[in-house]
Amino acid sequence: MVDAARQPLIEVKTFTEVEKVEGYVGNFVVTLREKAKYVRADRCNGCGACTKACPVEVPNYFEMNLAPRKAAYIPMSQAVPLIYNIDMDACIHCYKCVEACGALEAIDFSMEDKLVEQEIGAIVVATGFSHFDPTPMTEYGYGRFPNVITAMEMERLNNSAGPTNGALIRPSDGKYPRRIAIINCVGSRDKRYNPSCSNFCCMYAIKNALLLKQMHPDTEISIYYIDIRTPSKGYEEFYDRARESGIRFIQGRPSEITEDPDTHQLFISSEDITLGKVIEREYDMVMLNQAAIPQPDQNHMSSVLNVAQSPGGWFMEYHPKLRPIDSPTDGIFFAGASLGPKDIPASVAQGSAAASRASRILHSDSWQIEPTVAVVWPDRCVSAKGQACGICARACPYGAIDYTKGLAAEVITAKCHGCGACVGECPHDSITQLHYTDAQVLAQIRTLLAVEPEKKILAFRCQWCSYGGADLAGTSHFEYSANERGLRVMCSARMDADLIYEAYRLGAGAILYSGCHPQDCHYITGQIVGAKRAARLGKMFERMQMSPGRFRIEWISAAEGDKYARVINEMQSALDAIPEDVLKSEIERLKPEMAKKLTKLGDVPGVAQAMVQVDFIVDEMISREIAA
Amino acid sequence: MSEDPITKSHSADFPQDEPRIGVYVCHCGSNIAGVIPPEAVVDFAGKLPGVVRSIDTMYACADSGQRLIKEDIAKYGLNRVVVSACSVRMHEPTFRGCVAEAGLNPFLMEMANIREQCTWAHGHDRAGALEKAKDLTAAAVAKATFLTPLDMIKVPVTKRAMVIGGGVAGINAALDLAEQNIPVTLVEKEPTIGGVMAQLNKTFPTMDCSI
Repeated sequence: MVDAARQPLIEVKTFTEVEKVEGYVGNFVVTLREKAKYVRADRCNGCGACTKACPVEVPNYFEMNLAPRKAAYIPMSQAVPLIYNIDMDACIHCYKCVEACGALEAIDFSMEDKLVEQEIGAIVVATGFSHFDPTPMTEYGYGRFPNVITAMEMERLNNSAGPTNGALIRPSDGKYPRRIAIINCVGSRDKRYNPSCSNFCCMYAIKNALLLKQMHPDTEISIYYIDIRTPSKGYEEFYDRARESGIRFIQGRPSEITEDPDTHQLFISSEDITLGKVIEREYDMVMLNQAAIPQPDQNHMSSVLNVAQSPGGWFMEYHPKLRPIDSPTDGIFFAGASLGPKDIPASVAQGSAAASRASRILHSDSWQIEPTVAVVWPDRCVSAKGQACGICARACPYGAIDYTKGLAAEVITAKCHGCGACVGECPHDSITQLHYTDAQVLAQIRTLLAVEPEKKILAFRCQWCSYGGADLAGTSHFEYSANERGLRVMCSARMDADLIYEAYRLGAGAILYSGCHPQDCHYITGQIVGAKRAARLGKMFERMQMSPGRFRIEWISAAEGDKYARVINEMQSALDAIPEDVLKSEIERLKPEMAKKLTKLGDVPGVAQAMVQVDFIVDEMISREIAA
Repeated sequence: MSEDPITKSHSADFPQDEPRIGVYVCHCGSNIAGVIPPEAVVDFAGKLPGVVRSIDTMYACADSGQRLIKEDIAKYGLNRVVVSACSVRMHEPTFRGCVAEAGLNPFLMEMANIREQCTWAHGHDRAGALEKAKDLTAAAVAKATFLTPLDMIKVPVTKRAMVIGGGVAGINAALDLAEQNIPVTLVEKEPTIGGVMAQLNKTFPTMDCSI
């Protein structure tokens, strides 16, 4: 901590939140909110005279509210940087602190939150985790029984820098507890709260048990556990040490804690799997080893950073094995428990890993980004002909399109992230996306629907989420109908209505329009553009009396392989439910309707010529099919 | 079938070269070949217009597989490459790099995902998986036909990092970056850095102080 503050190249900004992240790899612009401390960092010398003078006391969250702090405060004596804060919610404006500060004049009640922008080449996200509050688990009585405490409360109570100077006491009577129980997996591996394992708590229980034993060797300590998980180097030996020191390990998840209301003694009922019976034991104090959960503002940070979340709410890495530190956005990396619960050694290692991933970029003079950007055909843009439009500029999540009436729209390549929202929205087909041109995507659609199109489920998927979801379905061997034919674009915003019309014109049985969940979109608001269009299309197909289930819209993250498989299977069932002759006549009835909507597509440069050539491929596929 | 509304007019903006496509169908050991016969896909793809070379390979991503592609680019004068193998999320960078080493623009390579999105998802429908693998390969050939060379876009780099979160992971990342002479902004929402670690007493397995 102190090293970080001492390092001249590190600017530590505490009491500061990230408001906005714009830009792209190598060129991010981050807006920070420096919250008002009401103490000027350039003048405060950390003497603490303001705290002594302050008459207001409030609970100190740093001490898990077991001790008070003043309204003029630092959360702990080793705070870095050592600059005091005035808690304006608690302050009574007596100004005694100002008086105590005297000639330093560090306290400034006129300070306000300040928004500052910084230009940044790469970002490491290490926002950590939070703790499960066991209050809802009424069977354990936390909040009702004073001697039931959480792990973090125990941390402060046996800490020499804590409110009792390290003297462990029972909250009910201030006496030293002789019999202590630790219950593991409180809120972890529990389908009611968090199904997953919180990773470090087994070791954490053992650590606390050993510490308490060291302090008072005659303390009786029992650890209630489901399984003891000690997979890292030296951890099993640590567990052995605990067993040798006389700590009792009871395999069983306690069903209930009861309390004697006079003595506040606690009684734990639990199964003991080793003994094969139900036991009840008495304790002076019980520590609940609470689950690690995502930060309360993790959803908010996820949308500020445009990064996705795994089930459970943690941030999601680009690839769990191959790129475990990278976010899907180039230039943004993760470290520590924001990706999922982990202990200190693993967090430190990931910090170094993220620094290393980021420094590849930061040590380069320039960085390469994919050229899958949008390009305008100026002679097709109606704005150049004097018509008011600007639809492309409004669809762009990045403000990357210059629109001036009378001039052709222009894409600012460095700002374009290549989602294709403008391409999908342009009603005049005046914009294309490199590597995902209409000709290229139409070529795929025609080949995928070459043979028996009425049996096919054509799945449009975004590169970042639903394509990943389909991958995960396969990796997990979640089987789904082999009539599915997948097609990748960068974002659901690129899924042009024309592409959907063409697929139905060719006789597609069903179409899946899929992408990310709105908060996960790799392109900020790309999904919103795609979702609006999909909803419009859905309504239109309904009006055309298309059978239900032939057009489906689903948002599927890269973590939802099971959902991808389920959606495809449901679509197959829906398709199977339509009698063959009904489906055939419906397809034939809609073909000319779809064709009517496509009359301008042939004017898009390259498209008509490409389709002539694609049809040779399609003919070959059909003739092979007939031969077979 | 009604008249094709798209091909009725023509336009010139189009890849000018005659496609010479090489198709490489990966066995991926038994991951693909255990469900479908790759040779059937090879045979199917080999007759598609524009394809001048179609062959299977045990592991397309292995050195031997990549060497085959690189040698074929020279030998058959390939100007497009289709790799029918795994997910683009796995190996698109690999095969783009591979064709680039043989002098082809990396954006003239297209993949068909016949593993994650085919054999692994349809292990109990071998016939269906084979039809799908053919279609996905044909779609990749069709797209490849119209690929044009693209150059990566070079952007400048601001030499400053931001670390969001001043816990043990963030502090360590910031120190590692600063020690490499990279300026860092370390942002923490609380009034002190340290995170959960600062609240802890001794820590396992060494039982030393946390701060």
